[in-house]
Order: sequence, then structure tokens, then C-alpha cells
Amino acid sequence: MDDTGDTALIARCLGGQQDAYEAIVTRYQRGLFNVAFRMLGNYEDARDATQNAFVKAYEHLDSFDPEQRFFSWLFRILKNECLNVLRARRPSQPVSLDLPSARGADPVEVRERQRAIQLALMSLSTEYREVVVLRHYTDLSYDEIAAALGIPTTKVKSRLYTARQQLGELLMDWRVAR
Amino acid sequence: MTNMNDPWPDDEVTRRLNDLPEVDPPSTMVQDVMATIARRGAARATHSVTPTKRGEIMAKKVLWIVAAAAALALVAMRVVGYPPVEKGTEATIGAAQRYQSPQISSADVKTGDAQLQAFLQSDVFRQLTTDKAARQALKNKDFQRALSDPAVRAALVSPDVRNAIAAMGAANTGAKQDAMSVRLEAVSAKYSALAAALEASPALRLALVSPDVVAAMGASNALGVALAKPDLAMFLAQDAAINAVMSAPDVALDAAAAKD
Repeated sequence: MDDTGDTALIARCLGGQQDAYEAIVTRYQRGLFNVAFRMLGNYEDARDATQNAFVKAYEHLDSFDPEQRFFSWLFRILKNECLNVLRARRPSQPVSLDLPSARGADPVEVRERQRAIQLALMSLSTEYREVVVLRHYTDLSYDEIAAALGIPTTKVKSRLYTARQQLGELLMDWRVAR
Repeated sequence: MTNMNDPWPDDEVTRRLNDLPEVDPPSTMVQDVMATIARRGAARATHSVTPTKRGEIMAKKVLWIVAAAAALALVAMRVVGYPPVEKGTEATIGAAQRYQSPQISSADVKTGDAQLQAFLQSDVFRQLTTDKAARQALKNKDFQRALSDPAVRAALVSPDVRNAIAAMGAANTGAKQDAMSVRLEAVSAKYSALAAALEASPALRLALVSPDVVAAMGASNALGVALAKPDLAMFLAQDAAINAVMSAPDVALDAAAAKD
């Protein structure tokens, strides 16, 4: 994600030019939506969370600190939206994993594998899942992840280590079960 | 998207995480966000008009007048004795004729036009219209009957049930109905979630011996997305939604095929 021009676009938005925000949404929708999708495991929920995050970001654009990376700020808003969705889910409610169509030699097997990986991600606690998602599905550095999450960089690294250990065990179980 | 600075570029977990593909955001995301912002801006502008003191006083006056009129009407009814009581019914004691509502059947559950309209304008609906397998399944009467059964809709929410059906479809595309019955028994013996769903709904069993339905449920991602949500699945049992999917021009199908 390239930050070039974000400051200018934000300044134009704050000056009342709504079309500048359209450029911001276009620029960040893919990254933000994929983070939401991996956090929530559901296409519709990810769409709603991303959309709400963009709208709330617009409404509070004047509180954005240009010293920060814009994506990190957007992510903090998105994270709250995702937490709201997760809280609203009943504990017994199954997560419907809307995975994109598989392409390859055996689409059923590919889908099964992707489903198992997403299920493993979903079984991590939110604080572990978010570090894995930010590390593997965005190009944020450790320091940027730490800034986005509001925790020290060392904690990011330790959480990522534990999360990966847990993922390894979960995916190992899945392979054995197969 | 893969982070190139990972200290574990080749390990199993990284490889597995990289197996998850990047997902396209909804094509209407930008328009939807901008429309919501515009709508909220307009609403805020409307609400920000401060009512005048005079307007507030008038509203309070009207409220008092209406309340006084209602109180007067109640007193008058009491004095005049309205509604009149028929002769011979005074002090009648008997069993109360309580209203007993009949059991609600699935046919009684109708969604509002607004909800249906929203569904017809959704991404899922658009995907269904361009999905040949989904359209094939929706034409099937047994499948329509099954979807009108709440037990079936509830069962299809479970990814385990849908995966069991998908596995069945992959092995039996083009199979005869008898062979499908045999296969269904075999698969349900292996997948307890499917066995429980079949137990709960005979309509599901009828639908799943249809090769068209099973093949479509295995092949159609759009159908999978719709069936994962009982409220969306409910629309697919309605004539209006089915007709709308079927009447989508073949141009949409051709375009989807060309894109693939």
C-alpha cells in the first residue's frame, strides 16, 4: 500500500471535496476487505465491516494524525467493527466460510484445504489472529503492526510466534484427521 | 499478499497461510461507501436545523389539546354508557372464547417486498443469475420444496452438511437417481451432520437424490454462499426470486463464461 498522496487526498476531503475520499476508498478497499475477511471468515460480514470502517473513518477524518500511516489508522477502526461483529455472533453460531471458487486440479480438495486453514485462523483468539493477518496478508512491518495495534514491537513478535505455533498444531491435527 | 520479510519464508505454516487466496472486494464497495456518506451527510444536515422556540411551544400545546380531548371522550363514554350492552347478556357466566391461532406452516411465512427487493439487488443474487449450475438447481421442483422447509434451511447452514453434499456431487455428476440414493446412504453413514439433517427432513432426502441438485451444490459457489444463510435460502424458495434468477438474460451467463 502506497502512502503517496494520502495526505493531499485527506486535505482535500477535509476541505469539503467528497470525491477525494472516493480515491482513498478505491486505494484501500482491497487491503482492508481482505483483512476483514480473514478476521471474520465470512464475505458478507467482511463487506459490512469494511464499509462501516470507511464511513466512520470519513466521519472522523479530522482526528487522523498525518504522522501515522493511514492504513494503520484505518485498520484500528476496522478492528473495532470486526470485534462488534464477533461479539454479535452467538457462541454456538457456526461460521460460514465463504471461500472463493477454487481453481486447480481438484477444486474440492483445494477448497477443503483453504477451509481448514481459515478454520484454524478462526480458532485463534482475536489478539493472535490479528497479528497473523496483518503480518501475512498486508505489507506492514513489525513496527507498523505494533503502532496499529497499540502494543510494543516485542509483543507483536511474541504473539506472532505463539499464534504460528498454535496454527501449526491445528493444521497438523487437520492433516492427521484427513 | 505475502509479506516478504518473514523469518520463516519456507516453513509449513507460512506455506499454508499463503494457500489462502486474495479475495476480491465487492464490486460496489466504493459506490456503497460514498452513497452511505452522502446519505448520512444529508441526514445530519436535516437534523442540524434547530427548531425554533415557537415551534416547540406549539408542539407542546397540540399535545396537551389531544390529551385533553382523549380524556374528555373517555369520561363522556362512561357517562353515556357506550358501547351499549345488549339485553340478556348482563352477568352471563360462561367459558371464555379464547382465540386459538392455528400452527404456522412454512407457507404462512412470507417475506416483505422490501426484503425481497433487497435480495434481488444483492451480490449473491447477481452471482446466482450468472451461475449455470445454480440456475439448473433452482429449476428443480424437489429442490424448491426442500428450501421451503425450515429444517432444510437450518441444516444447510452447517458447512459440514454442505461439504458432505459437495463430496457426494463430485463423485456422482451425471449419475442416475437410484445410484444417487445408494450414494446418499453411503455418504450420510460417513458424515453424521448429513445423517442428522436427513433424519430431520424427508424433503432434503428427496432433493438430494436429484443429480442436478447435488451437482449444483458441489459446483456452485454462489449457491453455497446463499444456502449458508437461512434468510437468503428462504428467498430461493420463493417464486418471485426463482423467476427472477431464471429470467436473467443468457447474456449474463455468456459474460460470466467469458470471464472464466
